[in-house]
Amino acid sequence: MTELTYLEAISDALRIALREDERVLLLGEDIGAFGGAFKVTAGMQEEFGADRVIDTPISEEAMIGGAVGAAIVGMRPVCEMQFADFVACGFDQLVNVAGKLHWRSGLAAPIVVRLPSGGGVSGGPYHSQNPEAWFMHAPGLKVFAPSSAQDAKGLLLEAIADPNPVVFLEHKYLYRRVRGEVPEGAYRTPQRANTVRDGDDLVVIAYGAMVHAAVAAAQQIEEASVRVLDLRTLVPLDERAILDAVRDCAKVVVVDEANYTCAPGAQVASLIAQYGYGDLDGPVVRVATPDAPIPFAPVLERAALPGIERIRDACRELLAY
Amino acid sequence: MPASGRGTVSHADGAAPGEHLLEIVMPQLGITIAEGTLVAWHKQPGEEVDADEAIGEISSDKVDSDIPAPAAGRIVELVVAVGATVDVGTVIATMAVAGEADVAPVAPAAGAGDRASDPATDRAGDPATDRAGDPTADRASDQAAAGHAAGRGAGASEHHSPVVARLAAELGVALESVTGTGRDGRVRREDVLAAAPRPATADTSALYVPPAAGQLSRMRRSIGEHMKRSLSTAATVTSWIEVDFSAVEARRRELGTTALPIVAAATVATLGEFGELNAWLDGEAHTLHTEVNLGVAVALGAEGLIVPVVRGAQALDVQALGAAIADLAARARSGELSPDDVRDGTFTITNPGQFGTFMATPVINQPQVAILDVEAIVRRPVAVTTDGVETIEVRPICILGLSWDHRALDGAYAAHFLAALRARLVGA
Amino acid sequence: MLTHRAIEERGLSLYKQGKVPGSFYDGRGQEATCVGAAFALGPDDPVCPLIRDLGAHLVKGTPPSAVLGHYLGRAGGVGRGRDGNVHMGDAQRGVVGMVSMLPDMMAVAVGMAWAFKLRGESRCTLSLFGDGATSVGDWHEAMNLAGLQRVPAIFVLEHNGYAYSTPSSRQFVVDPLQRAAVYGIRGVAVDGNDVEAVFEVTREARERALAGEGPTLIAAYTMRMHGHGAHDDASYVPPELFEHWAARDPIERQRERLRGLGVDVESIEAQVRAEVDAASREALAMAEPPPAGELEDVFCEGEPRTVGRGAAPWSRFSAT
Repeated sequence: MTELTYLEAISDALRIALREDERVLLLGEDIGAFGGAFKVTAGMQEEFGADRVIDTPISEEAMIGGAVGAAIVGMRPVCEMQFADFVACGFDQLVNVAGKLHWRSGLAAPIVVRLPSGGGVSGGPYHSQNPEAWFMHAPGLKVFAPSSAQDAKGLLLEAIADPNPVVFLEHKYLYRRVRGEVPEGAYRTPQRANTVRDGDDLVVIAYGAMVHAAVAAAQQIEEASVRVLDLRTLVPLDERAILDAVRDCAKVVVVDEANYTCAPGAQVASLIAQYGYGDLDGPVVRVATPDAPIPFAPVLERAALPGIERIRDACRELLAY
Repeated sequence: MPASGRGTVSHADGAAPGEHLLEIVMPQLGITIAEGTLVAWHKQPGEEVDADEAIGEISSDKVDSDIPAPAAGRIVELVVAVGATVDVGTVIATMAVAGEADVAPVAPAAGAGDRASDPATDRAGDPATDRAGDPTADRASDQAAAGHAAGRGAGASEHHSPVVARLAAELGVALESVTGTGRDGRVRREDVLAAAPRPATADTSALYVPPAAGQLSRMRRSIGEHMKRSLSTAATVTSWIEVDFSAVEARRRELGTTALPIVAAATVATLGEFGELNAWLDGEAHTLHTEVNLGVAVALGAEGLIVPVVRGAQALDVQALGAAIADLAARARSGELSPDDVRDGTFTITNPGQFGTFMATPVINQPQVAILDVEAIVRRPVAVTTDGVETIEVRPICILGLSWDHRALDGAYAAHFLAALRARLVGA
Repeated sequence: MLTHRAIEERGLSLYKQGKVPGSFYDGRGQEATCVGAAFALGPDDPVCPLIRDLGAHLVKGTPPSAVLGHYLGRAGGVGRGRDGNVHMGDAQRGVVGMVSMLPDMMAVAVGMAWAFKLRGESRCTLSLFGDGATSVGDWHEAMNLAGLQRVPAIFVLEHNGYAYSTPSSRQFVVDPLQRAAVYGIRGVAVDGNDVEAVFEVTREARERALAGEGPTLIAAYTMRMHGHGAHDDASYVPPELFEHWAARDPIERQRERLRGLGVDVESIEAQVRAEVDAASREALAMAEPPPAGELEDVFCEGEPRTVGRGAAPWSRFSAT
């Protein structure tokens, strides 16, 4: 085990994949010589060559479509969108070509599209988005969103090995702010949720950066035992883990950093309302960013994104219900 | 942790009248960057600088940058030392600048923050009370229509959550009789559980109402966590051996001690031959130690237990070991142990036998791979062969239990260790 | 070409009988372009056809009954009922089916060619599209990337004058063939209704691609003789234009050429008709796809399948 930051864990996974599987290619803007906007791929072009760590022009459609082409003849491309927000420029290829390919034609497209997502860094409306719900909604795409360094590495290796197109959300706020013990060498994290904090009075369900806020909020609630369930994968959604947690805790708070309407938490809440109804001792409460673009000024951004206090207060209110 | 370097590095006189102090902070060079390193200072306290003049250099994971002076003025203090890494936003230097300080921006009116509150409650009002708050006509008629108890009046808050209704039915709790501790007196899950009758005993006329539940102490919970973690991490197996403690008893009377130091010394010596038991296994990392830092469990009464460590026990003779153990135990009971006293143990002995129990399955003290349990010395009739003739004699028998981690070693090794330890103790 | 036209005529007839659901598209008058180009490929060269390119599917070996079954939405059709009309691609025979968003498949063709180049394989890809598709951003991205990386791809622009009802004059200012140079790509013009000329030009483009000289844009000038789909009567096309191109029908031209070489054209035509008759009987007898299976295969559970080999008639190699 070594202690790595979330970003280093992702770099580690990419290096291992490049070393151990000659079919793996990295595609992205500024990832080669420059090492990537966040330096995730620093040094990799020197190590693996410009034929495997490829700088593309600003062409998200061609990058993703090209990745699909390379994948259907046997390669394992990993695309990087410079910011998650720019996946909108490659949306068509991802949703209409990659997503529907296997269902239509039996050809699989084992591509990974890495998205540095999320806010909290004064990135403003175009560098802070959490677009995961767009892709949960498109059949044929898997969606992974790790919250810890260990899961970031394991889930990325799992995504590369998966024969389906995977949208991989790397929360950029966590890149250098989260570190953890990470096993050395190759390993894969299963496509399931994970209980990161035990408890049985209430469960907070979250993913990505919100897992950390949820844990901090739970720690402040000394008068009750609050569980935190980290979803880790949004497609496939670990419905069993969600419903088991509801059965144990009877009270649920679902947290989204994504915009409230139709965020991933909305799907979780609907699942619980329909299939966990008999286990509930209170309404399913959601804490989410309101339906507005993410603001730039820190005071505005802090007010928009769910923070520890808002999550804690929502929990306390529900506990008292 | 980043190097400290937070103390004042060098300092000149502060702001004079007619001046104010400006703070220069570690900037964020890249939106994911959380810290930066001070690479160089170009100016010293007392020096005058122009606005935008570079006063130093910093470096982050992504880029190096100079530090421009925010205004014309005089360097007062260089707070952070060259080479130090500090969090973004930390004050790294101060300077004195002419004129009054700028007025801080006005904080937004309190109402502005409200707009950004939880959109769920903004939208639906409070969904909980919206639905459950009206106990009158709607609710009563719904329940009547569904065939529920018609006797319910309209005044009570009668909507029960599904889990409350189900638990009440399962546990035989009459909901009308339960006092709700939830919002507006609502019955919660905990209330039903608290009201649940215990199973009937021979005298069924009295229902037992348990007292209010409390919580275990922090120390107890911490010990519990450690024990749980140990059992779920290690592949714990316990092996036992019976030892005739006649020789040990004789020796302890000679020395005027308890049996513990004698057993401890023999254990430490035997660990010298069975080094695999003097090890740590932490995930993949397996460490075989050259010294024996012997942990000795000390009971602290109702408070729990603690395991202070005798460092370098392999170098101590029986008496020195005994003295060390006694000292640690005394300091443990009076709460005078330092954190260093409980660190780095490589093997643990626990000795709870004073009350008469003779066997146990001790829990390994993570990340060690074994723990020795010394229980009561019980006088028992045993078969003894003297000069080829087998008779029954009464001997002091102690059962030594060794819990060991099957991830690190096998049963044969553990058994071999115990046999060697017994040989030492019997020959002591 | 005959099979291409015969299948489409049969399909159109079935559509008008209400047996083909949804919409129906054909490439009448353009058969020479897709057939000539596909004929120049090797068995390991995948093709990304578009709306008017049934001939390319057939050259790679897709059975006519599977095509007709696909139009009918039957279980035995290429798309197994999951997609219809021209959205088909027999992946096992090296054909990658199109999506409606044009020209997304160009990027996929570029990606495949890129992989071949990186792996040092002697393979190329063929991507066909119309003049309208050249207006889409994806066209620029694909051309730019292909030229930059010098991938072994062949782009065939079926310049047929219309994108639905929009004539080329309202689609762009300058003929897209002129844009090729801008991407560092060689541009070649050809008579899209001369199957042997299209074949020749594609064969040369393939040689260049395999020699590492990068992609070629072949502009094949032809005419879409029917509407955009069966639901479009193309009344916006001046009748003189139809007359002009009817006199240049690609099949008729090839008939003349072959007769001049002493080939028994009539018996070929009879054979094709019989084949298509048999294929449509087979297709009409195919079962409907089971509704319960609708959710299967959204995800790949096991080993991913890759694009397979097709037929390659001109090289006298046949995969089947």
